[in-house]
Amino acid sequence: MLEVRELRKSFGNNEVIKGIDLDVNDGEVVAVIGPSGSGKTTMLRCISFLEKADHGMIRLDEHQSDIVTISKKQIHEMRMHMGFVFQAFNLFANKTALGNVMAPLTIARRMNTDRAREMAMGLLKKVGMDQRARYYPGQLSGGQQQRVAIARALASGPSVVLFDEPTSALDPELTGEVLDVMKQLAAEGTTMVVVTHEMQFAREAANKVVFMDNGVIWEQGEAGAFFEQPKTERALQFLRKQ
Amino acid sequence: MQILLQSFTKILIPGIKVTIPLTLASFALGFAIALFLALVQVARVPVLSKFARIYIWIFRGTPLLVQLFIIFFGLPSVGIILDAFPSAVIAFGMNLGAYNAEVLRSAIQAVPVGQSEAAALIGMSYPQTMIHIVLPQAFPIAFPPLFNSLIGLVKDTSLASSITVIELFTTAQQIAARTFEPFALYCEAAVIYLMICTLLTWLQAWLEKKMVWRTPEDQLTG
Repeated sequence: MLEVRELRKSFGNNEVIKGIDLDVNDGEVVAVIGPSGSGKTTMLRCISFLEKADHGMIRLDEHQSDIVTISKKQIHEMRMHMGFVFQAFNLFANKTALGNVMAPLTIARRMNTDRAREMAMGLLKKVGMDQRARYYPGQLSGGQQQRVAIARALASGPSVVLFDEPTSALDPELTGEVLDVMKQLAAEGTTMVVVTHEMQFAREAANKVVFMDNGVIWEQGEAGAFFEQPKTERALQFLRKQ
Repeated sequence: MQILLQSFTKILIPGIKVTIPLTLASFALGFAIALFLALVQVARVPVLSKFARIYIWIFRGTPLLVQLFIIFFGLPSVGIILDAFPSAVIAFGMNLGAYNAEVLRSAIQAVPVGQSEAAALIGMSYPQTMIHIVLPQAFPIAFPPLFNSLIGLVKDTSLASSITVIELFTTAQQIAARTFEPFALYCEAAVIYLMICTLLTWLQAWLEKKMVWRTPEDQLTG
């Protein structure tokens, strides 16, 4: 499980995260929605330590730390139990699809190559990319790259996978294949936090919805109830625009 | 005509035996220095990155010929005596290191930062990220300008003639002085430099074709 308490982050004088609490239980799929610029992506980047937060506490399974004073070693420890999927895929351009999925195992964990290849092929099969294992990212479509990136994020067997607008950089006809993979993961009980603009996905695949605006979580709760009857005026207005 | 034919091998042999080793040794030293200076800057290593800036400032801001003279003629007066060839290698290498440090730094910075973030998130250390992800992609970006400086270096090695290294141009000078045919001999030297550089240009084109991250179509099926 993932627990975040009192998360704050400013860029200069601009406070973009204003004290956020987030709880993600094992097997839960949490959709984080809200208008652009509401701090959703920054929140994910703080949780994964890509941005240094100004205040907060984080707990991932048995690892717990203050988010500001956390040591490099503890960051590494926590990251080993997180998966992250970027909006821009960020596959390693000098490695094949297979090489990308093997990297967390062979390079970061020094796993034996044969075993890593076997595991990586299994993951590529899961995202429907095993036939493209020998392609380089430049030879794949956006949707295919994102599926490989999901396989890479899963390689280390993470406790939670964070998705940062995974379909926002894709053409509409390619979003479906990525969302299908994510729905499948959700159905298998993968713990996921998904920052998304895909309301359809949030409605269908998420157990819980977190609605953010202006650096604050206004509302969080069971997905069905949220979409049926949002409690706050802001959420209501946001949903009307969708 | 007779003189040209007779002198051709006489100039070519020191060209192959001295100019080419001098070029390669200087380039290797220069590359090592450049990589070091680029990495300490990109990693923002406290004292060393400052040192790198100062080093680059000095070696780019002073003439190569002056650097050569300081090392060969100047250093003996403070008790450091080096032979002509190693003096030339050190001077060319240190000078090239300053220029290529900037080439490598910009190439490293041209690799999308998202890939380094992705590497960190899957648990790779900074050195692992550099070795496995960033440098392999920075190198093809840096390759054309690096090769540019290699070709420039081939010609700059003629400056070593001024500190008594018997290389291609020195030999041409000696024969020109003996035969009173400066026009023919210096043109001949120019042609030999041109030949070496032409070979390098072909090599560059061939190598650049190899440095693309693509699996060939015929290897993808089956």
